[in-house]
Amino acid sequence: MLERGWSADLLRDAAAQGWFSLAVPEEVGGLGIALGELAPVFVALGEHLVPGPLLENVLLPALFADTAVGERLVATVERGGVLAMADPGISCAWSAEVGRVRLTDRGLSGSIGLVRFAAQADLLLVVADAPDGPHVCLVEPGAAGLFVEELDSADPGSRFARVTFDECPAGQPLAAGAAATELVGRLRAWARLLLACELAGIARHLLTITLDYVQQRKQFGRVIGSYQVVQHTLATMHASTSSLHNLCLSAAADAGDQVGRELEVTAAAAKAYASETARQVSEDALQMHGGIGFTAEHELHWYYKRALAARTWYGDERELELEIGRLLILGPDAVPPQNGGLRQPAGATS
Amino acid sequence: MIDLDTYRTNVRAWLRAADMPVVPRDLDKRFAVLREWQRTLFDAGWIGIAWSTESGGQGLTAQHQLVFSEELARAQAPQPIGLIGLDVVGPSIDEYGSEWQRRTLLPRLLSGEDIWCQGFSEPEAGSDLASLRTRARLEGDTFVVSGQKVWTSWAAQADWCALLARSDDGAPKHQGISYLLVDMKTPGITVRPLVQMTGDREFCEVFFDNVRVPADNLVGEIHAGWPIAIHTLGTERGVYTLRRRVDAEVALDDAVAELRQRAALPDGVPLSERFLATLGKATVALRALDAQTRRTVDRLSAGPTPEDSVDKLLLNGIEQTVYGCLADLLGPFRSTPTSRPLGLEAERWVHEHLYSRAASIYGGTSQIQRNIISQRLLGLPRG
Repeated sequence: MLERGWSADLLRDAAAQGWFSLAVPEEVGGLGIALGELAPVFVALGEHLVPGPLLENVLLPALFADTAVGERLVATVERGGVLAMADPGISCAWSAEVGRVRLTDRGLSGSIGLVRFAAQADLLLVVADAPDGPHVCLVEPGAAGLFVEELDSADPGSRFARVTFDECPAGQPLAAGAAATELVGRLRAWARLLLACELAGIARHLLTITLDYVQQRKQFGRVIGSYQVVQHTLATMHASTSSLHNLCLSAAADAGDQVGRELEVTAAAAKAYASETARQVSEDALQMHGGIGFTAEHELHWYYKRALAARTWYGDERELELEIGRLLILGPDAVPPQNGGLRQPAGATS
Repeated sequence: MIDLDTYRTNVRAWLRAADMPVVPRDLDKRFAVLREWQRTLFDAGWIGIAWSTESGGQGLTAQHQLVFSEELARAQAPQPIGLIGLDVVGPSIDEYGSEWQRRTLLPRLLSGEDIWCQGFSEPEAGSDLASLRTRARLEGDTFVVSGQKVWTSWAAQADWCALLARSDDGAPKHQGISYLLVDMKTPGITVRPLVQMTGDREFCEVFFDNVRVPADNLVGEIHAGWPIAIHTLGTERGVYTLRRRVDAEVALDDAVAELRQRAALPDGVPLSERFLATLGKATVALRALDAQTRRTVDRLSAGPTPEDSVDKLLLNGIEQTVYGCLADLLGPFRSTPTSRPLGLEAERWVHEHLYSRAASIYGGTSQIQRNIISQRLLGLPRG
């Protein structure tokens, strides 16, 4: 399953268990749980390295439930289908490489170089630019002018494709103008928060197995966990992991009441800390395991590769620290970078 | 019990109306002004917020204390001067002290009438605190103390000292230590302030030459001072972390305000990405510490635990990250204290940065915290 980046059976089982209805509002048949309360769920997904479009399948029905396509999104995930989002916001620093999509009266044109699960998707949500601001559109896989080219994936949790639009009919946008700006801002913020939680879960698991390993592995006649240099590494891993976990839970709880710049800073800070911390903890875990951790026989490499992938998705610490600086200093009137920036929704307060 | 939001409103209202003291640079004058300030805070009910009412406190919670500390810092009001008494030594006297000690010493500690210092470290007993050699020999109803302490913050200003001394040479090192409360005016005590790299004279060497301390000043049982010392250090790690977090947040807010003003100037040079990313980095670090200390507050009432070492270790790193970032904004102007690059006061940020380097040394070094975490929390075997 990890070689393939997902499993259709697993997704159907998860759907049957109701995972994707948790954050869907009750009016459209969900359980209506606040997204912030799903933080422990995403921590657990990280701990167990669950692959697949879980982020998309949880977020999109929850955030777009009250749009015209809400019921379609919910129905798709509830039968085990796949949602994908073509969003140039997955990266700020690489925005020129990621690309963008424009919406004109001739439909969608342009391309997004990296879209998770686009080739498996039953529905594709597109964040497009139009002369009057961002628009969010929904496209079906067979649409005219839509080209999906699957790419090799080095992320055990994901499949990737390049998606190109050539005057692809966009239908009625789900959101336009200020509402779209606000929705896209929330989408990106929650993607960052839930990815941060997944990274926290990965760090927790790697700390646990490393703590076990250093108490079993013996060298020079005693367990390596009795050497101070190893103990101090584990102590640092523990402090980092527990602070990351605390930050994720606090940020997710706070985010529920936040909008605009405040929400964006909360999410970016959690994702930045997660990106940096999960990589450090993974690399310490690898070092503590010695040679065995470097082999494909041990589970560690899957976690490490997933951590490296997730840390870049929606920004690593270097990208996000810069974005936070912009948000703090340039304030509500800040002009974000052309694509993928943390946008300030119209009318939001800081 | 008053809810936190109402409490915060009350604190703000009081602080708005309060006469803020002007803090002089001269150390002795500064202490005189700040003792008065602590008295003012005490009279208004803002000292010992989480202490029990029987001990002269307000009988509220650690959350209320945190709210007050936050508002005090945001109002740019000085902290009470007796923090070592309030946050470090006092809670141990309250927990382990005799009726007489609690009744006579704690009210004066709270009101700022008595400033406390902490006589723990010695020239040969730093991280290995239990190897301390200052002697306390019991003669009748008096301990006779001789030896030397070092890194004793504010000893030159202190009225009282919580002192660890060896009362039994023959016992294993952790079992021969007594916890004494010493009046700093007792004959035989000599204090020599040390100038620190910040230019401050906060900590001192303290020499004890046959100092006579009444046996009534012993906290707990004779030779049984070590667990009390651990309690003191644990309190320091937990409560102090909260205060330093608030200080660092205010520092970052101040820097952000300066830079925002700069960015808003019509002829302002655009801030480079480097400066923005530096502020972002400091913000991320502080968010992590903030989330961590919210958990701290939840468990503080249960007393010190090895978890405090996690907080202290994180605080050390984060405090140094934050002030390191802020000092980096000065670039080459850090060498000229009167400069104001980007609107930032060079002298303040250099001072804060240098002071932050002490964070990973005082209250148990980061290495000692890692020992505690790995052995007492994670259960790894002693080497």
